[in-house]
Amino acid sequence: MDKIHSMPKRVGAIKFGLISPREVRKMSITPIITADTYDDDGYPIDMGLMDLRLGVIDPGLKCKSCGSRAGECPGHFGHIELVAPVIHIGFNKIIRKILRSTCRKCSKLLLEPAKKDEYLSQLNTLKEIGHLPETYVNEIFKEARKAKNCPYCGEEQLEIKFEKPSDYIEDGEKLTPTEIRDRLENITDDDVRVMGMNPETARPEWMILTVLPVPPVTVRPSITLESGQRSEDDLTHKLVDIIRINQRFQENREAGAPQLIIEDLWELLQYHVTTYFDNEVSGVPPARHRSGRPLKTLTQRLKGKEGRFRGSLSGKRVNFSARTVVSPDPNLSINEVGIPYEIAKHMTIPLKVITSNIDILKKYVSNGRLIYPGANYVVRGDGKRVKITEINSEELAEKLEIGWTVERQLIDGDIVLFNRQPSLHKMSIMAHTVKVLPYKTFRLNPSVCPPYNADFDGDEMNLHVLQNYEAMAEAKILMQVQENILSPRFGGPIIGGIHDHISGMFLLTRNEKNVNKNDALELLRKAEVRELPEPMGYDEVGDPFWSGKQIFSQILPKGLNLEFSAEVCMKCDTCKKKECEHDSYVFIEDGELISGTIDERAIGAFKGLVLDKIVKEFGTTRGSQFIDDVTKLAIRGIMRTGLSFGISDEDIPKEAQVQIQKSLVTAETEVSKLIAAYEAKELDPFPGRTLDETIELSIMQKLGKARDQAGNIAGNYLGLENSAVIMARSGARGSMLNLTQMAGCVGQQAVRGERIRRGYSGRTLPHFDKGDLGAHAHGFVKSSYKSGLNPTEYFFHAIGGREGLVDTAVRTSQSGYLQRRLVNALQDLEVQYDRTVRETRGVIVQFKYGEDGIDSTKSDYGEPEFVHKVVKSVTGKEVV
Amino acid sequence: MIVQHHIDSFNKFIDVGLQKIIDEQGIIETDLEDIYLELGRIRVEKPIVKEADGAIERLYPNEARLRNLSYSAPLYLEMSVVKGDSKTDPVETKVGQLPVMLKSNICNLKELNDEEMVNNGEDPLDPGGYFIVNGTERVIMTLEDLAPNKILTEFSERYGDKIEVAKVFSQRRGYRALVVVERGRKALLEVSFPSISGRLNFITLMRTLGVETDEDIVNIVSNDPEIMKFMLENLEEAEVNTREEAIEKIGSRVASGQATDYQIKRANYVIDRYLLPHLGNSPSDRLAKAHFLGRMAESCFELALGRRAQDDKDHYSNKRLKLTGDLMEDLFRVAFNRLSRDVKYQLERANMRNRELNVGTLVRSDVLTDRLQHPLATGNWVGGRTGVSQLLDRTDYISTLSHLRRVISPLSRAQPHFEARDLHPTQWGRLCPSETPEGPNCGLVKNFAQMVELSTGTDDNQSIKTILYDLEVQPNKMNITIDNVPEYEDEVGNYTEELEKISVEVDEKKDVAIEVFSSEKLDDSDNLGGEL
Repeated sequence: MDKIHSMPKRVGAIKFGLISPREVRKMSITPIITADTYDDDGYPIDMGLMDLRLGVIDPGLKCKSCGSRAGECPGHFGHIELVAPVIHIGFNKIIRKILRSTCRKCSKLLLEPAKKDEYLSQLNTLKEIGHLPETYVNEIFKEARKAKNCPYCGEEQLEIKFEKPSDYIEDGEKLTPTEIRDRLENITDDDVRVMGMNPETARPEWMILTVLPVPPVTVRPSITLESGQRSEDDLTHKLVDIIRINQRFQENREAGAPQLIIEDLWELLQYHVTTYFDNEVSGVPPARHRSGRPLKTLTQRLKGKEGRFRGSLSGKRVNFSARTVVSPDPNLSINEVGIPYEIAKHMTIPLKVITSNIDILKKYVSNGRLIYPGANYVVRGDGKRVKITEINSEELAEKLEIGWTVERQLIDGDIVLFNRQPSLHKMSIMAHTVKVLPYKTFRLNPSVCPPYNADFDGDEMNLHVLQNYEAMAEAKILMQVQENILSPRFGGPIIGGIHDHISGMFLLTRNEKNVNKNDALELLRKAEVRELPEPMGYDEVGDPFWSGKQIFSQILPKGLNLEFSAEVCMKCDTCKKKECEHDSYVFIEDGELISGTIDERAIGAFKGLVLDKIVKEFGTTRGSQFIDDVTKLAIRGIMRTGLSFGISDEDIPKEAQVQIQKSLVTAETEVSKLIAAYEAKELDPFPGRTLDETIELSIMQKLGKARDQAGNIAGNYLGLENSAVIMARSGARGSMLNLTQMAGCVGQQAVRGERIRRGYSGRTLPHFDKGDLGAHAHGFVKSSYKSGLNPTEYFFHAIGGREGLVDTAVRTSQSGYLQRRLVNALQDLEVQYDRTVRETRGVIVQFKYGEDGIDSTKSDYGEPEFVHKVVKSVTGKEVV
Repeated sequence: MIVQHHIDSFNKFIDVGLQKIIDEQGIIETDLEDIYLELGRIRVEKPIVKEADGAIERLYPNEARLRNLSYSAPLYLEMSVVKGDSKTDPVETKVGQLPVMLKSNICNLKELNDEEMVNNGEDPLDPGGYFIVNGTERVIMTLEDLAPNKILTEFSERYGDKIEVAKVFSQRRGYRALVVVERGRKALLEVSFPSISGRLNFITLMRTLGVETDEDIVNIVSNDPEIMKFMLENLEEAEVNTREEAIEKIGSRVASGQATDYQIKRANYVIDRYLLPHLGNSPSDRLAKAHFLGRMAESCFELALGRRAQDDKDHYSNKRLKLTGDLMEDLFRVAFNRLSRDVKYQLERANMRNRELNVGTLVRSDVLTDRLQHPLATGNWVGGRTGVSQLLDRTDYISTLSHLRRVISPLSRAQPHFEARDLHPTQWGRLCPSETPEGPNCGLVKNFAQMVELSTGTDDNQSIKTILYDLEVQPNKMNITIDNVPEYEDEVGNYTEELEKISVEVDEKKDVAIEVFSSEKLDDSDNLGGEL
């Protein structure tokens, strides 16, 4: 038989219905009548469950139906003729409803003809507007059930009781499946329509099985154990049971066995068919293996996390992916990713051999899989895939011709996707260009950590290699890192300087710092700046020097104009702008930094305004180059001065300590005054608060203030020459609060926003008096980390710290689930070309995206317009 | 000693626990007429290994580790066959192998000095306190549980109404029953306990227990005027007036649709068996149960009146630790039950074949051995609890020590349980404030503080009573007679004013006495209601 080339087909619609006995027989290739599977020679028995016409699974054998071999033959259905009908366990609910709402004698739906018409037209309108008829149909059933007598034949209707798992009892008499089927058969097609079913595709009597389809062997492959013994699939076992009982039933019936035995066998058949469909029905003991393990039947295959849907279809695994630990490399571009040789050698890209690439591909093939860069497979003209080995590499390279495909190893410049879980936003998967490097980790520029939310404490990331040019082009245009510098979340850069980049720039650009020629060249060396500007001046010896601001200006694009207050801005009452004595008003004119310090506000991820402006005005390529330059310059900048932090950086002078002590003591006395007032019942409650809440709030307030005061005192004595202050003020890392806690006072420990209250009766710890409301008794830590905590303080601190740990642990799981539900609800919404947001059916959700049609990525930090800024940039005048 | 708690607990299990379980069982009954087995003393030897050639040698732990053996010792039990009036002499039979904790009293390392230990392949600095099963070192984790037999009062919600409930986990010999008294709608008291669906009227239950008159019922709850008012409301709504009516009422609940005789029988059985089992399961314990229910009702009312606050479930005095010994006891009880069933079967079979009933041939010792070893090897304990025994962490010496001192809370890690995960001030000095894992187990897995000492509980009711009497607690003197039960006088009753005075004084001495007593006390299944 000639191989038919598969033609692409398009699914037009999917229709669900019940399978009729006729259909079962039609699609069946053979009836199955024997419970035995193989004969003594191990050959499948004809009309047995392993019949060769049902398809083949053993290599070498040919399917008797279609002639194809194992792996090609999709398998063919067979069928079992059931001696007596049995109920399909999945349809009990609807069978019950139908039985209760149809006449027990004439099988008419128990509704007046006029009512029926009304319901039917209602159902049709529902169908037209695309609504689900289910709830409405339930109403119809409910209405029909109310009838005491049949409106057609006048027959009195009896209560039908349903008993698990599949018994219907009418007036104490059990209805046999045959009786039920008869009733369902007699329902007219018109009545069936009123019940919301389509009689062409789903007649109710088809819910009672008279013939059972037998799935092809490919669905239930048997496995051969090492011992040569065959082990059958659970489904085959179950089918064997069904056939056996079916046979016995038939024999007994033909032999005229007593009714009791017949009934028992019927029930047994029902049991086997039930467990064949679902082995976890309540009220039915699960069918078990000889070992006691419950069988995994049809429902169990589909259901649950490891089932067909969630496990095998949604949860498919992919090829061409790699995973390893990530580590930083500031010398890489943000668009690049460093890939270990070992991984590059295993990942391949298929290339069609054409005239222009045949020479290089021949080289790859002859290199084989061991010499990098090589190739791992070739696909010959006849479609045969050949593995390249040391032995055949030369031969294959020789034979390589146009039309073949070479699966070549990854080389520098290839486009790959890079991902870190949890993939919470689109920037969790971005396209990078490959840079093959030694060692065993993925390398990435630390600036791309924020979008991935990665750090280097052992994080692992995944890499996916694109397999065709269309995919690579699409990835490059849409997913490359530089296209994602701006986040649609807030319209600012999400990729930018972090940690050392910010401190480095801060140290370089703050105030006037003279940089000699050597240093200047060293700083700018990696940034590809080939010319130095006019020096700012000459020193005593006559050597030229430049300012740090000048150095930084070299990586700014010409034509950039910008002014803003830096992160270090003291927020003075009147801003002196360019003349700011704190050097914190950034003024950039035509790509020249005139005044101000470059810090988080300028180049930081999330906040960097310079970055934002460059990307928006000069394009993403210039933006990415700027970030690359910043990382390189900053790293060298920080190395020029050096930045370290030690315990002695937390030292504050004696007088500062005395001052802190004093302010804490004052706070404590104020707290005791408050308590005294409270105990004397002289305290006025805050509006809407009880007295107890009021005292707690006031104490918290007082102590919070005291801690801030201590921080301020400590901060005053620690100037901008302190590395911790530099880091905190420039926004590189840490905060002034961290410093306050280290040098000044740790402050109030709180659990869920309240002071620590639980513990022994009337007090937190036995170290305090009962009823003590004072600061110390409820978790105020007046020591600093430097000075050390006393035991009770330490314990309270541990209480407060534990809350943080629990919070992070519990919150991550909860927010992950929340995100998942949100994504599932919104994933199919799409902005159409007419700018409306629609779901898959075309129903409009929003007439304009976000009701205002604004692409937040292109907005100015979420603000739709920046007219003021445009006016100012053109006229130079401030408009309000 | 860093693992003294494990070793003490295991030693107690060996010394007392084993025999206790045998005595609980007492005899092995059979379906044969007049034939049963009488159980006597149980005895454990030291760990041994039986070689393939039948040689029996003393086993040292390191050999067990290297040869994938179990470090276990043979158990011997005295049994005699009773046939009608005749009784054979007690015969000591080997019933199984008991896994032995390293460095416990029956461990072969016990009497060795450091040098001898080294000679036997053992590190003298190894703390012990774990078992060796099939060559793997297994630690039984210490489990933290809510204190049984202790009344905990709290607010709850029913159909949007705030109600007051008093709960107690009544525990007797591994059986746990949750008994709840709640003050529901219209301040009516209702009680629920296992085997009863829904809730029973409090007054009905009290009458069933033999407290019949209105006066007695009120007095048994409280003599506080406000609470008495509440009780009068309850009495007005009473369903029944006499004891007989009450029993019938309960009977109709526990066995509806059955004959009246059976209903009454069933009601009596349920009351004795499932209601507050820790107070005993004979009719003579009913008055004690009535008193206990009275106290539960009282605390409900007190909570309603704002006289007491909700009980803090995370307060460490409301926690009990289940140590190795307690868990081994649970395990041994079930395993021994299994053995007795097997022995019974063997006995009946032997009798059927008219063989001589010889104790030695009746016992298949691997039944018990397997039942003891398998849970220890897999961590799947009786009662479906998993992860009870864990592979000892030997990453380094410190992690071993930490593992041996770990405490696990049975709360599910899937739910937030914020409050249970918090570091509670009462954990000061008992549990380490710093060491807990990050992630889903945070705050649920804990470690002992450095200096903590665990006390093992006592089953000695008499001495507890003596102490209470010394504190001038007056025995309860409510003279109620229950049919063919003698006058009931001997139950430790309500606080007298004297005791209140004493406890206030103790309070003023900074709670030391009370706190110490109620802290790391072990489960004691038969103590007096769990409270002082």
